[in-house]
Amino acid sequence: MRRACIRAVRSMVTGGSGYGMLRWRSRLARKAPWWLAPAALVLWSACSGPARGPEVALAPGESRAFTGTWSASGSRNTLRLGPDHRASIVSLTGSLLLTGSRGLGIGFQAEVIGMSDNLTGGQGHCVWTDERGDQIFSELRGGPLGSGSAFVGTITGGTGRYAGLTGEYRFRWKYVIDTEDGVISGRTDDLVGRAQAPASTPAGKPAG
Amino acid sequence: MGVPAAKLGAVVKRAVPFALTLGIWFTPVPAGLTEPAWHLFAIFTGAIVSVIVDAFPLLTAATLAVAAAVLTGTIMPAKAFAGFANASVLLVIVAFLVARAVVKSGLGRRISLAVVSAFGGSTLGLAYSIFLTDAAIAPAFPSNTARGGVLFPIVLSLAQGAGSMPDDPKTRPLGAYLMFCGMASLAVSSALWLTATSANPIGVEIAEHFGLKIDFGSWLVASSVPTLAAILLLPPVLYRLLPPGVRATPGATAAAREALRSLGPLGRDEKIVSVAFALMVTGWIMARTLSLDLTAVAFAGLGALLATSVLTLDDIAQEGGTLATYLWLAVLFALSGQLNELGFMGYVGGRLASGLQGVPWLAAYVALIVLYVLMHYLFVSQSSQVLALFGVFVEVGTRTGVPAPLLAFSLLFASSYFSTITPQGGSQNVIFVGSGYLTQGELYRVGGLTTGVCLLIFLLLGTPWLLLVAR
Repeated sequence: MRRACIRAVRSMVTGGSGYGMLRWRSRLARKAPWWLAPAALVLWSACSGPARGPEVALAPGESRAFTGTWSASGSRNTLRLGPDHRASIVSLTGSLLLTGSRGLGIGFQAEVIGMSDNLTGGQGHCVWTDERGDQIFSELRGGPLGSGSAFVGTITGGTGRYAGLTGEYRFRWKYVIDTEDGVISGRTDDLVGRAQAPASTPAGKPAG
Repeated sequence: MGVPAAKLGAVVKRAVPFALTLGIWFTPVPAGLTEPAWHLFAIFTGAIVSVIVDAFPLLTAATLAVAAAVLTGTIMPAKAFAGFANASVLLVIVAFLVARAVVKSGLGRRISLAVVSAFGGSTLGLAYSIFLTDAAIAPAFPSNTARGGVLFPIVLSLAQGAGSMPDDPKTRPLGAYLMFCGMASLAVSSALWLTATSANPIGVEIAEHFGLKIDFGSWLVASSVPTLAAILLLPPVLYRLLPPGVRATPGATAAAREALRSLGPLGRDEKIVSVAFALMVTGWIMARTLSLDLTAVAFAGLGALLATSVLTLDDIAQEGGTLATYLWLAVLFALSGQLNELGFMGYVGGRLASGLQGVPWLAAYVALIVLYVLMHYLFVSQSSQVLALFGVFVEVGTRTGVPAPLLAFSLLFASSYFSTITPQGGSQNVIFVGSGYLTQGELYRVGGLTTGVCLLIFLLLGTPWLLLVAR
């Protein structure tokens, strides 16, 4: 048995010819890398969290704090307005992962469209979308988009379980990298905020 | 009896990727992801798995995947087809066409004879000549795709000069071995020098925000031991994984010298290709200083070769393989980019990395490096992975107590050597893949094993070295 296992492993590693029942396995090994299985397991474990996050429904009037990290990438188109003045349109998408057991769930896909001016600062609109397609809308204001610049987001509402949500959040871009081909990428690890559900939803139902 | 069984096997093999795609598609979307991100992951996984189990060729898998992604409304057509206008993808295609000119003009044969006359005593000698040449020219090239464009015609000429042809089962193994040596050498030489690939400076810029100052010298010191060990070990390792069939060629050196003498002076086409190639190489080296676009430089070279009739429209028309490469590369490039844009890569990276909180730092360090390398199965660009995951992994690792310089350097080196894990793992690979010498199965099997060998070298040798020298 032990020898058979050794032969199987050897044939998988070398892609060499197998013996008897192991032959089909070695053929497969020639096609598939041996660590495909662990790779798939690793990937599965990353995605195998709860299909629904922690209970995110807020009771009417309830306020909750949340913290998180945000990795974003996208594009920046810059217009030069003189030797020291640049304005740019920025479009970013990425993953916003929240921490804490009673925040707003595990995370969102975050999209931003905004304008950044190196003299007057940046502003934009942001949409967070969760696994159900429910969204949170916010407006962003802060410094010119770049490493270290701080932003404040004002939550202006949402859809589905986030309808009528208000609140505020803050973060500082730990880094923002502009590559030569116009791709921009950034990350923040200190996003903190608080969201409050409306006292009663327009339909008279609890949010969520 | 055997035929129906074989047919049944083929049907089952083809059904597996579809079943996998549907299985993932209809699994509830994990919290924190969106439906489009999850569905695109299902399609992308199905496509990659179908190639790995040899159910479909890359081109078939890529075209089915992009059609599914657009027709199901998972991604917008403009995003799905964006890879066709991507500069890196175009650079690969143009470099492939220029390589044809090098071979057609006879310059390639001359170069191969010169290499064989110096290193031709053994196949292993030829392999080392590829690794050493690449390592020597690497610091001057800011793009490893451009460097692949320089190395490929030489490797192709070496293979053809030795009588190896992609369609001949007896002679193909030698060419396959040399081609993979070209890919592997680009992977490790990119780790050796800070300036050898565009992903390195991006990583260094991100590392600065974690308090690390890395310059050309400190990078070289940090990379020297594990990278030189990899350069030393990879040719014999690949020799075992992809036996070239020809071991020693005792008479080759003298024969090559004789053949080189009999070639006489450079012909017209060889002179034109030499000048065009030299100008292209100069343009690529000076690209950053002179603000030149790498792909535009390649197009200028190709244009010159067409204008001087070194390459003809008939030559281009015969490049069906290049068209196939263009199609699958552009599609996979766009789909992988969309997975990143939809937040999937950040989500998976963040979830995996944060799961290591509280783990002893050495275990966390090893796990982070292994995870980072394995995640390259989903990426088609090294720079994209550095931008998407490098900062996340450094952040989590340093929080668990991994020394920041150790982790940053190890991840940055991994960002180079993991490029051989799949044929699409680095655009420079694609030039060699398009030669036809390597089969799909070989590319994934040997690619995975080569990356594994590099991972071991960098973990076992690189870690103590980095703890000693990296600050």
